[in-house]
Amino acid sequence: MSTLGEQVLRFVQRLRAAGVRISVSETLDAMNAVALAGIEMARMREALSATLIKDEADRPLFEELFIAFFRPPGEKREISRKRPGSGTSISPSSARSPGESPQTSRSSETPEPHPSAKPRKLGAERKSATPAQNPSAEFERLDARRGEATGQPKGEPREVGEQASSEIEAGRIARLHAIERTPFAGYSDLEYEQAREALGPLARRYRVRLGRRLRAAKAGRIDFRRTIRASLQRGGAFCDLRFRARRPRRVDLVVLADVSGSVRYSSTLMLEIIAGARAHFRRVRSFVYVDRLAEADFENGHLLMTPVLDLYARSDFGRVLGELWERRGELLNRATVLVIMGDGRNNRRPARADLLRETARLCRAVVWLIPEEPGRWGTGDSAIFQYAREVSAMLRSGNLRELEKALLEVA
Amino acid sequence: MERINQQFVSEGLRRARYITNERIETAIYLALALEKPLLIEGPAGSGKTEVAKVLAEMLQTELIRLQCYEGLDEARALYEWNYQKQLLRLQADEHRGLGWGEISEHLFSREYLLERPLLKAIAAPRKVVLLIDEIDKADEEFEAFLLELLSDFQVSIPELGTIRAVERPVVVLTSNRTRELSEALRRRCLHLFIDFPGIEQERRIIELKVPDLDARLAAEAARFVNALRKLGLKKPPSVAESLDWARALVRLGVGELNTDAVRATLGVLLKHEDDREKTQGKVPALVGRPG
Repeated sequence: MSTLGEQVLRFVQRLRAAGVRISVSETLDAMNAVALAGIEMARMREALSATLIKDEADRPLFEELFIAFFRPPGEKREISRKRPGSGTSISPSSARSPGESPQTSRSSETPEPHPSAKPRKLGAERKSATPAQNPSAEFERLDARRGEATGQPKGEPREVGEQASSEIEAGRIARLHAIERTPFAGYSDLEYEQAREALGPLARRYRVRLGRRLRAAKAGRIDFRRTIRASLQRGGAFCDLRFRARRPRRVDLVVLADVSGSVRYSSTLMLEIIAGARAHFRRVRSFVYVDRLAEADFENGHLLMTPVLDLYARSDFGRVLGELWERRGELLNRATVLVIMGDGRNNRRPARADLLRETARLCRAVVWLIPEEPGRWGTGDSAIFQYAREVSAMLRSGNLRELEKALLEVA
Repeated sequence: MERINQQFVSEGLRRARYITNERIETAIYLALALEKPLLIEGPAGSGKTEVAKVLAEMLQTELIRLQCYEGLDEARALYEWNYQKQLLRLQADEHRGLGWGEISEHLFSREYLLERPLLKAIAAPRKVVLLIDEIDKADEEFEAFLLELLSDFQVSIPELGTIRAVERPVVVLTSNRTRELSEALRRRCLHLFIDFPGIEQERRIIELKVPDLDARLAAEAARFVNALRKLGLKKPPSVAESLDWARALVRLGVGELNTDAVRATLGVLLKHEDDREKTQGKVPALVGRPG
């Protein structure tokens, strides 16, 4: 095998070690691609990225490793000589020599005195950006500042530096991608804002799926047009009957969402998704609770509740169930699907699982969405197992993805 | 395909009046040379579909387009028998008293087959460009079906037999990432991410497509649009929209990009009321930015 082939192989291994999934066939593609594109640096980089990097979220990592791996040591010195004392940027290659791991390179960078007093942070942010991609220093600074403002989800070290590239949309997509998988437990207000951004497409997708389910069904009313069309295949005989579900489906949704500290974020996001899909249910009543019930509504993306709850009260689901029971005549009937979001942590107050049983008897189904991870169920003051016996289904919704899936099952 | 080399690609792109960068050029070249499908992702309006059109123009061949949507099935994408025509033929033949053997022989021939885009691309006598647009809108089952097709470029029709591609079509897939594509599909494709162009690139695009616009104004317009995209809007203006805007500026005879001119034409760039409100106050700052 040629040395270049070996180089590509070693590079692929390096990428794999950093967490990028690359198959054997993609490696072969990469070798062929390099053979075709040649070893001119920029072309080779694009050839490798087109064949190896199939997710734009991995791109910043690729850029970083590529520079570390392929830039010859000689060139590095040349570049740093070319811009003596240019304080605004640390040239990407000067910080790193081939074969060095990111850790060692970072430590080797610090003792080297830098000629300018520019804040270190800005330079570090921009390390992975190549000069060719930065059309103007002006916007570059704007970008770097923006990167600092939006921040990155924790526990995703391989996306660091992606803000630095001059590309706008790529960074946004990588962020959305990450936030859908971040567990609600790790949320702060910052993550919540990012999740709100991701919510638009997600809610739309949810609506489309709900709508589609109504169109084609296994039983129900005969869909005349599609039946005729199918009959043409059988020479006009109506062998295949095609059905359409009745519309609108008789689902009354009653949602109870815990908005106390521990599950606040997941509850608000859920209420917002459901509010967007209102048209697909016959009736939707949303409530939030801490120790009492309050009707919830959305206005311009802000949660409104009447009456206003004390968010710092100690949650008491038992009492909330009592209030629901009082209003059962108005809220619950055979078509009701009751959706409860909460962690079942009751501060050791009466759980009133018996009331939940009675309530479940009145409804079509009771579904409990739980944002906690299974390992923590039933620990401490959690009464979740008492409730679990009474509900029709317990669905995990620890992050946006899981929440969406769970909500699809509800409908 | 000896004539495919890097120079051919960059010249072809220039001739087709498509302004690119190294990344796009290399990806297109590799897709042609390795005969692999090219998966293009990127924000709406950054020129993903345009790549396929340009490719067709460059290779001087036909562009076959399959627009994906939820619920797209094989009958719409691949082929379908033309039942109406078959029935008519059947009735006609009955009057002539032909036996079943003779009837069935021509009843299931190419004449009664409705070729949908995928089959059309495979059955084409010469190399064509097949554009599978917005693959992320199609269902996951369809994606799996597509995989099979993209790996061997052949279709089996029970009544007719297998149709193999004479010349492998150049396949371009585009995605807006409304949903995650499967790993398997990604593996089989080359990947290209097209972002919004940088200021310089956008200026060149505007100058090329709207030659009537003053060069200095084009540069300012490019800078302004670029700055708009960084405001974190609901829908950042696409390249097509910035071209529309440039044309609007020409039509209105705008001499220089000042606050009033921008405010009056902002509707061409921003299509959401929220975005417009958010931007209105910032227009003077954005326009007054020193070059």
